[in-house]
Amino acid sequence: MTDVASRRDVDERPAITERVVTLTVNGRPHTLRLDTRVTLLDALRDRLGLVGTKKGCDQGACGACTVHLDGRRVLACLTLAAQAEGRAITTIEGVSGADGQHPVQQAFMEHDGFQCGFCTPGQIMSAVALMAEGRAGSDAEIREFMSGNLCRCGAYPNIVAAIREAASQGGHDAGL
Amino acid sequence: MSTVESRRRPLVGAGVNRVDGPRKVTGTAPYPMDFSVPGQAYGALVQSTIAAGRIVRMHTEAAERAPGVIGVLTHENAPRVGTGPVTVLGASPPAPLRNDRIVHHGQHIAFVVAETPEQAGAAARLVRADYEATEPLLDLQDPRAEHLVDPWGMDTSRGDTAAAMASAEVTLRATYTTADNTHNPLGLFATLAAWEGDTLTVHDTSQWPSMVRTSLAMAFGIPESSVRVLVPYVGGGFGAGLRAWPHVILTAMAARVLRRPVKLVLTRPQMFTSVGHRPSGVQWLRVGATRDGELLVLNHRSLISLSMEDNDYEPFASATAFAYRCPNVITQDRQARINIAVPTSMRAPAEAQGNFALESALDELAYTLGMDPVELRLRNHTDVDPRNGLPWSGKALLECYEVGARRFGWSRRNPRPRSMRDGNWLVGYGMASALFPYFAQPCAAQATVRGDGSALVRSAATDIGTGTYTVMAQLAAEELGLPLDMVRFDLGDSDMPNSMMAGGSGLTGALGNAVHDACRRLVRSFTELAWASPESPLRGVPPDDVQCTGGTIHPVGRPDLGESYVEILARHELSELTANGKSSPPVPEELGMSLAGAYGAKFVEVRVDADLGLLRVARVVSVIDGGRILNEKTARSQIIGGTVGGIGMTLFEDTVTDPHTGRIANATFGDYLVAVNADVPELDVVFVGEPDRGTATGTKGVGEVGLVGIAPAIANAVYHATGKRIRQLPITLDALL
Repeated sequence: MTDVASRRDVDERPAITERVVTLTVNGRPHTLRLDTRVTLLDALRDRLGLVGTKKGCDQGACGACTVHLDGRRVLACLTLAAQAEGRAITTIEGVSGADGQHPVQQAFMEHDGFQCGFCTPGQIMSAVALMAEGRAGSDAEIREFMSGNLCRCGAYPNIVAAIREAASQGGHDAGL
Repeated sequence: MSTVESRRRPLVGAGVNRVDGPRKVTGTAPYPMDFSVPGQAYGALVQSTIAAGRIVRMHTEAAERAPGVIGVLTHENAPRVGTGPVTVLGASPPAPLRNDRIVHHGQHIAFVVAETPEQAGAAARLVRADYEATEPLLDLQDPRAEHLVDPWGMDTSRGDTAAAMASAEVTLRATYTTADNTHNPLGLFATLAAWEGDTLTVHDTSQWPSMVRTSLAMAFGIPESSVRVLVPYVGGGFGAGLRAWPHVILTAMAARVLRRPVKLVLTRPQMFTSVGHRPSGVQWLRVGATRDGELLVLNHRSLISLSMEDNDYEPFASATAFAYRCPNVITQDRQARINIAVPTSMRAPAEAQGNFALESALDELAYTLGMDPVELRLRNHTDVDPRNGLPWSGKALLECYEVGARRFGWSRRNPRPRSMRDGNWLVGYGMASALFPYFAQPCAAQATVRGDGSALVRSAATDIGTGTYTVMAQLAAEELGLPLDMVRFDLGDSDMPNSMMAGGSGLTGALGNAVHDACRRLVRSFTELAWASPESPLRGVPPDDVQCTGGTIHPVGRPDLGESYVEILARHELSELTANGKSSPPVPEELGMSLAGAYGAKFVEVRVDADLGLLRVARVVSVIDGGRILNEKTARSQIIGGTVGGIGMTLFEDTVTDPHTGRIANATFGDYLVAVNADVPELDVVFVGEPDRGTATGTKGVGEVGLVGIAPAIANAVYHATGKRIRQLPITLDALL
């Protein structure tokens, strides 16, 4: 076991490239010194403790890490933290208004639009953006434009029902 | 029977919103990967790049010198650890890093720990291994593969199949194959291990925290009481969380050796080789029947893929022994050891595959006979278990057929293939039966009512998305006569009373019965306290003659003579009162009934593009006998989710192993396709039947029956639409061109 004792005393390591980045998340600025390889997703989760944004693949294929950059949905795992500097970042933690949950969140609960809940923050961030994009006009449209967000529990019909209801109530006006 | 138990309850309980919903929609539900502890380091796995052979030498020097690296574990320096328990699901996985032997591509060969996840990942890519490779066995039907014969002792032989086959007026012989599938819950599996002396606390993606606790205690030779496993939210499991996997042991090992808390989050590609998968298999069916559709022979044999080491429970053919009335039956399951990562139960294990073969074969038989597929199933329905002659504890399958056919509009079906069309779409209707026998194990629960009249009920279960938090709170609220918002159900902590795994469709029933028992005992304790009090309106009232309403215990039918929990506690100067409950699976011989699982009938409409072979599922009607349904909303979601899983299995899911290297060729969400929102139509779900007579709660478990039957119903609909009989999953468009 002594063979694997701490090696932190070893010198001669190449310097890590770091950079100071100011991220504005849910209206609050945060200044961080970051390894340039750090994605927006890992900066949010590991450095700012905003763990509501989920890592489902880290390859841009599942949608669990969906956040908004200047109001548009992006995949935080495919965005370097440094790329998000100077832009308005909104995460699931910033979606609820002062007067409670966003109508999309309420509709997800009412329609049981989730099971294990892991993909849910990403689904909700996509749904909120989808309504702002004007893509919630029909069930077919909702299905198509929500298809970048995988749900392995298979809650899709309930997700569609939740978005349909939130859209019909003008949920996209709720503070975003 | 006590009055608490005999209160009349509806078949389908109220569709209550999930009690954990607010946390899930706000991103505040903590999953294993979301936990951190001060001073934690980050682990990264290195996996083998050959499928068979041995490691000659590990090269870790570059990784050890990389920035931030704290240590690198390999089989050359890792401490030897013990192997976990043999559980009801079989032996535990072999311990990690115990020798130089490689048995599959993607086997863990090193574990790198560094100060940041980026540093750990970068350093892991610097680890190299020299191998002495041997030729891997990668084909399930390779004649060199070792076979395990009847590995679960579940093979069946009934009647005289040879003689009956010889005399059958109609016979059928067909071979069906199903692909490897990978569970792929959205939540990447994560483990965070922290030691304090010889005490270990672990956050782990698990469907069975008490088993993980036992495994860790055995690995490190410490008492179980020194290990605590926490998993308040899982992030999906589908079976992948039913074992204490090598990466869990490795993370705890590294934390111990390096004296730092260590956190590991698997990558998506690692999820394909580290936490099991649904095994591929070949099934051979021989069916004999009379010309009027009476089944005389079912001969169902399978060959199922298995890893070189380790084990998996997956008896494909076993349910054919009791699915229909048939006097002559053979079922045989075999496993072939090849150089793949170990398979493990995935949602509806065995039934997902076995039912595809059986229900496809029945559709083929129906066409051979010129008989309606529903009619064929009606003719062979059985209300007793053919294995032992006992009546089922509940089976409303006939009602499933009837309700399903009506809701679907089955009577509009022209049975002739390629006879129904909508523009360029060939339209097909198909159906299948489904069953899933639940798997129950002993459970324990603890119920407390506190001075403010609220209740806390606890058990070391998990809620993998099925709604355990919610339905257990509902059950406790019902038994204690409290509003739901006065009851909290806690789970996901191995320090709580022992629970079975969230798996086998058994948890709701088994844990529900334990919660029921704990709450009844608690009410009894309250009643006995009051019984002895001169001041209590319940003085002298026998504990069996009470019921609970609105936080008050009162004689049956006399809510005016009651006394509240709050009042009873106050009079006795108690801050709270607690009772423990437990449950054991019912024994068929004692009940005089065979334990019925859930049943269902699935009706599917598909559309196949006549030119392109594009296959779309247009409609699904699922009629389910799930016994008593505790929560219509969450139970419906289980059936919907199973159906979506079934659509994925049938149309897309195929874990492709490179036939030369054993590497999984599509180990990403970009390449391993699962059903997305646009693949899923509106799904119709109906519950029928009665509360199951086997247990107090009357539930059967609905987590898996939703998936069963979808594949054959789609395949049968594809035949109806196109005239092409597809006996291989997934059904890809090249097969339909």
